[in-house]
Amino acid sequence: MEVRIDGLRFLRRGDCVLDVPKLVFASGRTTALVGPNGAGKSTLLRLIVALERLDAGTIRIGGEQVRPDRRTRGHVAFAFQRAVFVGGSVWHNLDLALRLRGVPGDERRKRAAGAAAACGVDHLLDRPAHQLSGGEAQRVNLARALSLRAPVTLLDEPLSGLDAPARRQLLHDLPGILRAFATTTIIVTHDRDEALRLAGDLVVLIGGRVHAAGARADVFGNPPDAECAAFLGYTLIPDGGGVLAVAPRALRIGPGEVTFNLTVEELLDFGMRREVWGRIAGVPATVSLPMGENDNAGRLTVSAPERAVRRYCG
Amino acid sequence: MDALWEGFQEAVRLIVRGDAGLREVAWRTIVVSGSATLLAMAAGVPTGYGLARGRFPGRTLVLSAVNTGMGMPPVVVGLIVWLFLVRSGPLGDLELIYTKRAMVVAQFLIAVPLVIGFTAAAVQALPAELPDLLAALGAGRLRTLWLLAREAQLGILAAVMAGFGGVISEVGASMTVGGNIQGDTRVLTTAIVTETSRGENANAMALGIVLLVMAFAVNLLLTAVQQRRRR
Amino acid sequence: MRLARLAPVLTLLLLPWAAIACGDDDAPPKTAQPQVSASSLATATLSPTPAAGRVGGTMILATTTSTQDSGLLDALVPRFKDATGVDVKVIAVGTGAALEMGAKGDADAVLVHAPTSEKKYVDSGDLIDGKLVMHNDFVVVGPPSDPAKVRGAKDITAVMAAIATTGPFISRGDASGTNTKELELWKVANVDLKTVAGREETGQGMGATLNIADQKAAYTLTDRATYLALKKNLRLEILFEGAPNLLNVYHVYVVNPAKHGGVKETQARAWVAFLVDPATQQLIGDFKKAEFGQSLFFADAGKPETSLGLR
Repeated sequence: MEVRIDGLRFLRRGDCVLDVPKLVFASGRTTALVGPNGAGKSTLLRLIVALERLDAGTIRIGGEQVRPDRRTRGHVAFAFQRAVFVGGSVWHNLDLALRLRGVPGDERRKRAAGAAAACGVDHLLDRPAHQLSGGEAQRVNLARALSLRAPVTLLDEPLSGLDAPARRQLLHDLPGILRAFATTTIIVTHDRDEALRLAGDLVVLIGGRVHAAGARADVFGNPPDAECAAFLGYTLIPDGGGVLAVAPRALRIGPGEVTFNLTVEELLDFGMRREVWGRIAGVPATVSLPMGENDNAGRLTVSAPERAVRRYCG
Repeated sequence: MDALWEGFQEAVRLIVRGDAGLREVAWRTIVVSGSATLLAMAAGVPTGYGLARGRFPGRTLVLSAVNTGMGMPPVVVGLIVWLFLVRSGPLGDLELIYTKRAMVVAQFLIAVPLVIGFTAAAVQALPAELPDLLAALGAGRLRTLWLLAREAQLGILAAVMAGFGGVISEVGASMTVGGNIQGDTRVLTTAIVTETSRGENANAMALGIVLLVMAFAVNLLLTAVQQRRRR
Repeated sequence: MRLARLAPVLTLLLLPWAAIACGDDDAPPKTAQPQVSASSLATATLSPTPAAGRVGGTMILATTTSTQDSGLLDALVPRFKDATGVDVKVIAVGTGAALEMGAKGDADAVLVHAPTSEKKYVDSGDLIDGKLVMHNDFVVVGPPSDPAKVRGAKDITAVMAAIATTGPFISRGDASGTNTKELELWKVANVDLKTVAGREETGQGMGATLNIADQKAAYTLTDRATYLALKKNLRLEILFEGAPNLLNVYHVYVVNPAKHGGVKETQARAWVAFLVDPATQQLIGDFKKAEFGQSLFFADAGKPETSLGLR
């Protein structure tokens, strides 16, 4: 089902924290809703399940306006950022969620077991939910949402609170899990790499406004404005009245289509490769330094291909 | 030391013999304090829940009042209730003074801030996302309330224990409001006062042991439930 | 399922509630407390009290701690209930508080023992139909070592003066009849209260005050009945007794229904009639006589006030 937003405004204590004239999450696709902390991402998710009340506009799921009722919520599965559970076993928690959806007993057992297996938590079913580790809890949280097999699945920071190995593992598994279970999926994250890994579509939300929306390659390859580019990891270099945005990892040593002077500050040796950290026109920038290259210069000439550089007017 | 030992022996004798007078005072104590606790539960649990979850002007004020009430000396509550219910008081026409009902009223007022306070604390200790999670899963208002109450049940049990423990061991208010009338409003604590001032130390001791055992039994029961629930 | 496990707890708490609905204000069982004091009553051979017949209802009697602590009212109240059907709610406080309850209409009858204090309430019209009921006497008790040499003093004035110099003295300090009498005695002996060595006030009833005086090896003034009732636990001894101004006289009054609406006049009058009834009077005179070998109270109904040195 498609999620369509029109003329949405949401106020908190009189301030407009979300202003979205038009936004569509396409049916059957996975969209990453990205933006810095406080951009209004989680609020938008909460509005979609009618946990908050709109001040203006409409949100429709499959053509039906959302309401704080069972019907709207029956369309949506929501995994909150913090994995919270009721007392009792993991199984009890999965079962309760399905019971609240009115799923009959046999079906409940099948679905809970299926989702638990897909998320790699089938060995935890008898464990008390309150005793899970951070990674286990996030996976169970995910399994609970996916077992509902709702037309729309909302995941709020599904990788938060995990240590690095657990995070890497789940980041690797998640796209497969989502393909198997979810239909229309919206993932909120503040992490660009997560967004790029998990979603085909990107929506960049900054300060309560949508700065970019579209397919991953379009949005990432062509950010519409400097703020958006900065969030996506571009290096912003002042240039006359405007600004040049260089895509992440696009800088190379030596002259090229667009050339800059890098003041070297530090050389990091990782063994098989090295990285130069420095500044271009006062702006922090990083460039890889192949082994064997001259590394004692105080200044380096670096460059990027034309297609990796965007120009924005001041 | 003699009085202690004699008191203990006398207590055992009275309890083993199933002394009718002792049984009656003990039963009356359970009736009065149990009723007060039950009423305090009926009023205090929803109120505590509402205070914990609600956002309304004056909430902080109400919470502070409840916290003050939790430390309110029972004898002061007794005095206030007495001033209201005594014949020349504003509610004197109800003729409630020196009855078990008046004691229930006073003990209710002592227990209810405890129940509200403990319940509110228990509900506030729940993860803030839990109500939203249940709502998003499609639970209705009542279902959500019930599921949250179940999550907070350990705290709510603690609330009931605190309330019952507070009123069953309380003497000031019961004395003032009930009048310690033999065969009518004399409960374990006030009977202990009477027996002591009569010099019947063994009897007083027997009553004290019964009171202790009773408070212990109720707490044992509730603690057992609590421990079984915790996992 | 979890609710089911909670059921025993709920039942435990619910049961009393069901009971209280019917348990309040019906006939008070007579075995309300685990003590044996009422047994002396059984030995009294008396015809049933011929008081006012069936009256019913309840009434509040404000009285002093001495009548309660001695056990007298526990013996009288059930008999009154049998005779009239009236439930008496006995509120045992100091005489001062009892008189004040009468003056506010918070009680229906008062039974007190401080004639000088009582006069004020009779004059103001709050208390009416006073009847002389009984007397016992106050005694001065103290530690057997008797540091003030009170034993064998020639009169109460000398006793008070001697205690004032040595002390210590434990006072009720609760505006009770005993306290009132104590203050009167200091005054008669011309002793300034502030100069009494080691005088402390307990603010409690006679029983508690005796216990405290006993623990502190101090002198105190007590009514004989309470002292005798507690004697077995006390080291205190009677060191001075028998002076004419140590009489402890009890009067009963009806609270004036014309002044205070809601006073149960019928019940209060029945109570007064019961107390001065010859059968009750004999009971009072015999109360615990067998146990202590002497009377705790002397029945006085119908005697002129002057026979006790009053008025």
